[in-house]
Amino acid sequence: MIDRIEYQDYVTKTQPKSPMVRTLFAAFIVGGLICCIGEAIGDIIKVIFKEMSDKDVATWESCVMIFLGSFFTALGLYDKLGHYAGGGSIIPITGFANSVVSPAMEYNREGVFFGICAKMFVIAGPIIVFGVVASFLVGFIGYFVV
Amino acid sequence: MRTFEIKTPVYIKSGFTIVGPKEGDGNFGDCFDLVLKDDLWCEKSYEKCESKMHRDAITGAIKKAGMEKEDIDIMLGGDLLNELSSTSLAARNFPTAFFGLYNACSTYSEAIIVGSMLISGGYARHITCSTSSHYSSAERQYRFPLELGNQRPPTAQWTVTGSGCTVLSCEKPSAINSRVYDDDIIAIDDGINMDDKELEKYKKSIEKQKKVINKDKSNILEENFHKQNNDYGVPSSHCVRITGGTIGRVIDLGIDDEANMGAAMAPAACDTILTHFKESGRSPDYYDGIFTGDLGRYGKETLEYLLSKEGVTLPKYYMDTGASYFLPEQKTFQGGSGAGCVNTVFNAYILKRLQRGEIKRALIVPTGALLNKDTPLQKETIPGIAHAFTVESEPLN
Amino acid sequence: MDIFLTYLKVFAVGGLVCLIGQILINKTQMSSARILVLYMLVGVVLEVTGAFEYMKQFAGSGVTIPIMGFGSNLAKGALEGVKEKGFMGAISGGMSAVAAGLTTAITCGFIFGLISRSRSKKI
Repeated sequence: MIDRIEYQDYVTKTQPKSPMVRTLFAAFIVGGLICCIGEAIGDIIKVIFKEMSDKDVATWESCVMIFLGSFFTALGLYDKLGHYAGGGSIIPITGFANSVVSPAMEYNREGVFFGICAKMFVIAGPIIVFGVVASFLVGFIGYFVV
Repeated sequence: MRTFEIKTPVYIKSGFTIVGPKEGDGNFGDCFDLVLKDDLWCEKSYEKCESKMHRDAITGAIKKAGMEKEDIDIMLGGDLLNELSSTSLAARNFPTAFFGLYNACSTYSEAIIVGSMLISGGYARHITCSTSSHYSSAERQYRFPLELGNQRPPTAQWTVTGSGCTVLSCEKPSAINSRVYDDDIIAIDDGINMDDKELEKYKKSIEKQKKVINKDKSNILEENFHKQNNDYGVPSSHCVRITGGTIGRVIDLGIDDEANMGAAMAPAACDTILTHFKESGRSPDYYDGIFTGDLGRYGKETLEYLLSKEGVTLPKYYMDTGASYFLPEQKTFQGGSGAGCVNTVFNAYILKRLQRGEIKRALIVPTGALLNKDTPLQKETIPGIAHAFTVESEPLN
Repeated sequence: MDIFLTYLKVFAVGGLVCLIGQILINKTQMSSARILVLYMLVGVVLEVTGAFEYMKQFAGSGVTIPIMGFGSNLAKGALEGVKEKGFMGAISGGMSAVAAGLTTAITCGFIFGLISRSRSKKI
């Protein structure tokens, strides 16, 4: 039989790779479009609520985007988009919403308690944990530096 | 010695398959007994559906063999879910002794080997060997939620939604029964211990379940049975005998990418095939059909490369059931995998060709990748296994 | 014309951010959770070094809609919290800055999880 290391080399060399051009193109277009939709939502909010501060507009903008991401996940369209666009639909905040809603939808057959609620953070959990810890570290270091 | 010969003859009495919609659109779409239009089949979850497919595949195979479920001595079965849940839930509907087996995707050959050994040893007369897998239930157990918008890597394989069952017997079949009625399979209980209200509800649910069956593809339906060019159109002139096999070793060459199971399983298949030829003294030309399990397109290439390094060339008619399962435009990348993959192809396609005498001797090598969701996270590599069994067709009477 | 240029910038920068992520996915077969964590941490670093503010000036939603915006909000909230409330702000600032987004995500997850079920893929 073939040697372990030789076989691993063979597999690394010959295994099929993702088609670069098509996936990168799709990620660029879809990612750019999702960002433009976000910008448009921000602009619309600015037109409707003229006195709102920029910070609040940004918060509203991301909330609406999260809602849209969840909504299209619930309709079963976001995974199709993700299959086509890859990084283009994972990296925007809508992809984060998708990673919260999709396990909740997946596990609702196991009930509300240990299904939806417990499994909701199967994928989004690391993001929230890393985010909270990082923000604490930033604040902690900032406290002593300032 | 890992190769053995079955001396007391063991015959395959019947095989029955149920598959999901995507499989029905694939290469073997015309051969399956029952093709569903919806992979939930009126159930509330994919696991329940898998269990129902498993149950009805066993029932179908028993009916096709012209037997009742009381005639079966032992049931052997397995699937991919935790603690063999779908097989065990299916087995509770039968008054039969039951063994649950697990060898990932090669469970089917494990069941056939164990079953033929039991019959050959005289411990049982009739045995069912069944496996099942379901894309959606496997996906949520081994990978990610279905609605998550991620991309499948190009080495990924598609778990086959399907279940199949083979009835092994010590008696030589006098004729091959090629057809059963859909009523026999779906209406599994005869309404015993039901009051009128429950019976009414039960009948309604049966009607509903029948609507999910794809009428154009399912071979058990009346209108397809008489169609020309259908697989059932050609009469079966042969019966199929299990002649032996080679039990596989667990082989691990250090592949740690759980998305590339073809590469993890190919060395195991290579080892089993080499051992089989060496210990039985046969050459690849001895067989006129060589089939591997679910290596996929890349795994098939890898196996051919590994064998060529050992000086063995597989003939042109060598086929990988996983790689041939789906059409390229179905975008499954490497093809089918799962416990139901080789099983449904064997029962629907290979078995029929054997029964018509188109293949005389065949070697079937299902392969399995032995991992669970946590082992790759614990930096374990993925071992593979492959069990081979050989079948021969002999004329009826 | 001005508005067209703004959207072009948003599109180009947002697309570029996603394109880099796709290169990572293609080359390393990273799962989506890892990509999201990586980008969020990049956002935190950019915010701390002060670069994120300039990028936001230039491209607006092109950098805030990718998950980097979430990381930057966390870091910004923590730093502002320190200024306002001292050490207590270091603990509470980050989460309060992203509270709206998280609440929306979790609430949407719960509601859509209740009313909708996953369907099998039909590719």
